[in-house]
Amino acid sequence: MPSTQDVYSALKSVPMPELGADKDVVSAAAVRNLVISGGAVSFDLVLAIGDGVPEERVQERQAACESAVKGLADVTSVHVKTSVRPVPVANQRSIMPHVKHVIAVASGKGGVGKSTTAANLAVALHRQGHRVGLLDADIYGPSVPTMFGVSGRPEPAGEKQIHPMHAHGISLMSIGFLVDPDTPMVWRGPMVHGALTQFMEQVVWGELDYVVVDMPPGTGDAQLTLTQKAPLSGAVIVTTPQEVSLVDARKGLKMFEQVKVPVLGIIENMSYFVCNSCDAEHDIFLRGGGRRAAEEMSVPFLGEIPLQSGIAASGDGGLPIVLSAPESAASKAFLELASTLHKRLGHAGAEPSGLQSMAWKD
Amino acid sequence: MEVRDGLSPVGLGQDGPSVLTVDWSNGHQGRLGVRHLRLACPCAQCVDEWTGEKTLDPDSVPDSVRPISIDPVGLYGIQIEWSDGHSTGIYTYETLGKLCACPDCTPTGETPI
Repeated sequence: MPSTQDVYSALKSVPMPELGADKDVVSAAAVRNLVISGGAVSFDLVLAIGDGVPEERVQERQAACESAVKGLADVTSVHVKTSVRPVPVANQRSIMPHVKHVIAVASGKGGVGKSTTAANLAVALHRQGHRVGLLDADIYGPSVPTMFGVSGRPEPAGEKQIHPMHAHGISLMSIGFLVDPDTPMVWRGPMVHGALTQFMEQVVWGELDYVVVDMPPGTGDAQLTLTQKAPLSGAVIVTTPQEVSLVDARKGLKMFEQVKVPVLGIIENMSYFVCNSCDAEHDIFLRGGGRRAAEEMSVPFLGEIPLQSGIAASGDGGLPIVLSAPESAASKAFLELASTLHKRLGHAGAEPSGLQSMAWKD
Repeated sequence: MEVRDGLSPVGLGQDGPSVLTVDWSNGHQGRLGVRHLRLACPCAQCVDEWTGEKTLDPDSVPDSVRPISIDPVGLYGIQIEWSDGHSTGIYTYETLGKLCACPDCTPTGETPI
């Protein structure tokens, strides 16, 4: 009767190239429950090589194990029970693996200038020498195609992936590139979840320092998907100064606290109005609410963006104001925001520390 | 153990066939019996969403229930795929702290492992 040692030595001749050049089925711990009874050898073969592995490869591996054991003296029969498991996740994220930081730009309320902030933050980071992407997570009201003046369809990358679009040096992805601009996305939550997951997993973002995510307003499906799936380094909350906006901004902030995404700070949009004729700053929306809310919630206040003629025209014209009027007060606020965030995140490690997946060993 | 002020797990491990170990950022070494963890599943199939009442019948969970795989969820929790086919529960870090059954957290020795 063969010894356990003999069987293991024989099985060591069957390689497991999926898990490394020097791996075999024994070192990969794929052989389990080995039982030797007389000349009958049986064991389980647990192949942690991923779902969707071609059936032939699984059969080949099983056959290789069988013939290796059958080659031993005194072996009369070999019984192998094979199962396939997903690949254990190594020390690498599967989502946006080469993106250093993902920053969510969010608000509670709609219409406070999230997309304008996200677009200009992306451009400002790029102007400061970083490699930047912008993910438009607003499925129901995508703004990125208009704000960057881009139309057309993304190029496929292989069978299952697509390349992002590009404008002003930024990699861009938006539902607006995939459907007709006038088609409403009449979707329930699970469809939104699916689309956002694909934006993260199936877009070839490549190596980037920052991906800015233009979040939809609120605290619903899209926000949950992003906080659960995207490796967020932090979130920026955009608000306007009035209480009616601040109420929802606080909720947005608390949502990020609940899911342990660091809130990088609050930025106040439409803080004051710069009049074209007199250059005076007019406070029309109760300026200062954002700063007070930041103090109240103990998060950094990231600055005031004025209401200024030119911002809207720049956005609609496909050239964010940081590019069209870099010397304007608004642009300076966005550039300041970018450098503040980079100071906070740039020196940190490649990604927020998180847990790794694990497979349970029987 | 109460989880607050950014306390989070830094590593997950296994001690024998039925104990999940959790290394926390403050050095705490958590231990959780996996069947106990399965019974504490907070998902909407196991707990009534509105009343918070537990609807999972413990007798319906085999004694031999084991995790198959454990995955992080965002930066705030973990999700476990169980050998009984269940996988919808998200255990937040707070929940993992509350359920901790290490000797420090259960000094009376009534460790539900």
